[in-house]
This record gives sequence, structure tokens and C-alpha cells, in this order.
Amino acid sequence: MPILEARSLTKTFRRPDKASGFKGALKHLAQRKYKNYTAVDGIDLTVEAGESVAYVGPNGAGKSTTVKLLTGILKPTEGTVRVMGRDPHTERIANAHDIGVLFGQRTQLWWDLPVEESLKLLKHMYGVSDADYKARIAKFDELLDLGEFMPALARTLSLGQRMRADLACALIHDPKMVYLDEPTIGLDISVKDRLRAFLRELVDDGTTLLLTSHDLADIEEVCERIVVIDKGKVAYDGPIAQLKAHYITTKAVNLHLEGPADVPALTEKFPDFAWAAGASPSEVTVTYESARFSTAEVLGSLTARLSPRDLSLSEPSIEDVIRRLYAGELTQ
Amino acid sequence: MTHGFAVDRAFVTVSLKRRLAYKTQWIVALVLGGGAMLVSMALWRNLLSGGALSGYDWDSMRAYIIIGFVTGTLVFGAADWYIADRILDGHVAIDLTKPVDFQRARAAEYVGSMISTVPTVVVGVIGAWLLFDPPGPVSATAGVLTVLSLLLVFPLAFGITYLSILVCFWTKRYLGIMWLREALLGFFSGMMIPLAFMPSWLQAVAWALPFPHFTATPAAIYLGHVDTAGALGLLAAEAAWGVGMWIGARLVFRHAVKKVTVHGG
Repeated sequence: MPILEARSLTKTFRRPDKASGFKGALKHLAQRKYKNYTAVDGIDLTVEAGESVAYVGPNGAGKSTTVKLLTGILKPTEGTVRVMGRDPHTERIANAHDIGVLFGQRTQLWWDLPVEESLKLLKHMYGVSDADYKARIAKFDELLDLGEFMPALARTLSLGQRMRADLACALIHDPKMVYLDEPTIGLDISVKDRLRAFLRELVDDGTTLLLTSHDLADIEEVCERIVVIDKGKVAYDGPIAQLKAHYITTKAVNLHLEGPADVPALTEKFPDFAWAAGASPSEVTVTYESARFSTAEVLGSLTARLSPRDLSLSEPSIEDVIRRLYAGELTQ
Repeated sequence: MTHGFAVDRAFVTVSLKRRLAYKTQWIVALVLGGGAMLVSMALWRNLLSGGALSGYDWDSMRAYIIIGFVTGTLVFGAADWYIADRILDGHVAIDLTKPVDFQRARAAEYVGSMISTVPTVVVGVIGAWLLFDPPGPVSATAGVLTVLSLLLVFPLAFGITYLSILVCFWTKRYLGIMWLREALLGFFSGMMIPLAFMPSWLQAVAWALPFPHFTATPAAIYLGHVDTAGALGLLAAEAAWGVGMWIGARLVFRHAVKKVTVHGG
């Protein structure tokens, strides 16, 4: 049985339909008008135990709303959700025992108290034994350096420290299913790296993970499967490796020639490759199909016939693929 | 059950610590609360210098003002805006992912913040006793029943406060609701002036509401304005309001939680 199953999940919000300016405000006061806005539109999603799923999409695509529907915060307008066999909204308390949630933009720490106080309150809420609490705090300290700011007031923490403390809060009860909504937002590279390493370890330990992030490095390093949503609908759902294999079919070599690059002449000379002018007159980019030519073959041919001053290899990133998915240029 | 109480205790403790984290605010509340009581004492001393009004002489009014100070400090000093802010700024989303009964957790927090006002009450009452030497309760039974009435102020205050906070799910604003609640409470409880000073029709309106139990009920019992049977009747009504609002709040929350519209992360 899947750990999470959503069928035709839909959430529609009612928004005030108000013209701008003072006149619009007065008109709305006298005659209120609303428009329905569908944030999540018939999403089907199945997650098996132990899977690590990236849930991505452009701003306003419905990612956070989906997470709030899956965690029981919001009631779906239509459709059903089952998490470990339960309806997360109507069986909110039972469901909350088994899930861990982190909203990157909202802390669950008590702002005016030391971090330790928030963790202790959560220990009581989840009924974590003293032994388990100590063991988990020790583990978080080892992986996230929690100990250094446990006695600090939450409002005095840096963003990176706050996020690490929030992650500990989300995981203090060893949940089976974890939802992380933009856990690396605003963090510097070194903190991101540590968080990603921690999340990889979490996944390796068998925790089921649903991660939303705008940082695609989070996704590539932590998740095996990707679900792309746009305008509230699923645009792609499959393994990340398959997404790459399916859509990343070309590779490119950037050449820096001794003299100016003549793109039409190069196209004539190497008709199997696509040529494009580079950043400077002497730079040029050649793109080839990776299924037809090996990189060694291409490099051998180019260096033998053009004697470039310098060259570098580049491969379209998953970011490019997802950008094209957002733009509707690719379909599953 | 034991686990439930441990969670309640943890919420009470955290809430209390949060209030105590702001020492200046606590000291200001103490000074302002005591100052307001002194002003009230001076005002009523002048008003009653010519003799009793509506059944209150200077002796009974001193005790009445102290009782009003106790309940006013407990109720107005509790940090209701902490809960309202979480609904308004979307942090309620986090509360809803926790394995606790939302209402019970908020009640525990409210009790914690109310407890933080107890030192103000104690200091104020001792000071007032030393300065004004008010009369004691009319009897030992009246004294015990007054304490019981004051204890019942906790669930009653939470019920009224929590219900008014839940309105934020619809209004998306709290300030006006808080002002309205405090105005109604201050007026109809008898904290500002005893209900006996109001016209009879307004007294009838007041007694049909839960507010008089904040001050008029404990004061009436303490001063012997009602006999033991009457006092028990008032306590029963006070308890019934507390229970009724607890149940009513559960029904309101069921609808309110469907109104959660936390957009974005």
C-alpha cells in the first residue's frame, strides 16, 4: 500500500475581485465580488514508502498548497488524500504523529525562547521518550551542529541556524513521512551542502521524503523522482534519471579559436554539428547529439581540424529541462 | 491521559516563560494595574463620601474594587494576541501539523499567560490591603465560594477570548474584535461600575450574558449580596457558561479551520 495517495486533488480559493484605487475600494465595500482561483487542479500523486520525491514548479504553481493539503492543514475542495491510510484533514491529530513538516518560510520555534525549549515542547507533544530524545538530539548535533545554538534565543539565530533547528523540530519524533517546503531557501552554499547531506542520510535510513524547492541542486542531490507541476496540474512525474535521459539528448563544446570564428564556414565544414557564435568573436559553441557521436570522437575531430586555443565541455542541466517543462516546450 | 496532562503542562510552562521573557512589559503591567486601582479607589471614595449609593458604601466598594482589579488583571493581562497573531500571519499552519488538540493547546497557553499575571495580582492585592484595609468576606463559606468563582474565571475568560480569536479566521483582523470584547467585558462585568448602578433593564441584559461572572458574581458572593443558595446558583451559571463556550468553540473551530487560507510557503 502506498504511504501517500492523492486522487483528483483540487483546491479552489475565493479571492476578492477588487478594482485598484480608492474608487475600487469603495465599490468593493458596497458590492463585494469574488473570483474563484484554482491553486491545485486535479492532481494524482502516489508515493511509496522510502521514496524521495521532488515536487517542483514555478512560483504560484500550487506546490505549497499541495503540501498543505497533504499535511491536513487545508481541506480539499474536491478529491481525496490518504496518508498511511488516513484522511490527513479529518484525522489530523493521528496523521500529525507520523509526519514531519518544515515550511522554510515559517519557523516552528518559539521566537522568544531558547531553541531547546521548543524542542522540549515538541518532545512532549509527540511523546518522545527521554532516551530517544537524547539520542536524536545527539545525532542532530553531529550532523547539523545543533549544540552550538541550543541555548540561544530563536530570534537571535542566523537563517542557517534557524533552518537547522527547524529541521530538528520536524524530525524529533522520527516521522515516517517528511514534507520539506523549501528547506534551503536563503541559505548559503556551505549550509545548503550540510542540509543536503543530512537529507540524503535521512532518505538512506528509509524515511519517505517529499521536497519542494526552487533550488534544483537540492532535488538532484536528494531525490530520485521528480514531479513537476504547473498551474496546479502535473506536467511531469517520473525518475530524475529518466527525465535526464529522455530530454538531455545533446552535449556541447565551447571552443576558443585563435582567430575569429566563421559560423557559416564551420557549419559547412562540420554539417553534422550545430554551430553558434560565442561570447566573443573568437568563441563558438558546437552542439552534437550524444547518441550519434561520442565525446572523444567529437573532440578528436575538432582539435585535429581547428587547433583551438582552449575548449570546454558543457551539458544541458536539469535546470534547462525543467525551465522548458515550465514553458510548455516539453511534454511527458 | 497522563501524556495529555504532560503536554498541557509543557504548553503552560512555555507560555509562562514567553511572558516572563519580557521583564519590562511585566513591570509596566504591575505599575499600570496598581495605578488604575488607586485612581478607582480615589474616585469612589469621593463619590461615596456622602453615604452609600445603590447598596454600596465605601467599605464594600473597597473590596469590590480589589476583586475587579484581580479579575481585570487576570483577564486583560493574558496574552490573547499571541494566538490571534498566529492565525493572522499563517503560523496556524504549523500548529495544525502538530498532534495536539488545537483548542486544548491554546487553553493551556492561555492559562500559562494568565499565571504570569498572578504576581501582579498578589502584589496589587497586598498593597491594596495595606493601604485601604478592605472588609473580609461576609462568612467563611462566602470566602470559599468567592475563590471558586475566581477560579471559574479562567475557563470563562478563555472561552470568550478564544471564541473572539476564532473570528479572525473570517475577518483576517483582530484589533477591532479585541476592542469590542474588552469594551463589552469591562462594561457588562461590572469592572468599570457595579451593575447595581445601571438601570434595571440594562442589568437584565448584563445578567443574560457571561460577563457579570468576571466581577459582579465574585463580588456579590464576597460581600454577601446573595445568600449561599444564590451564590451556588451564580457559580452554576458561571460554570455553565464556561462549559457552553468550550463546546461552542469546538463547533466554531470545525468551521473556522476550513477557512484557513495560508498562501505561499
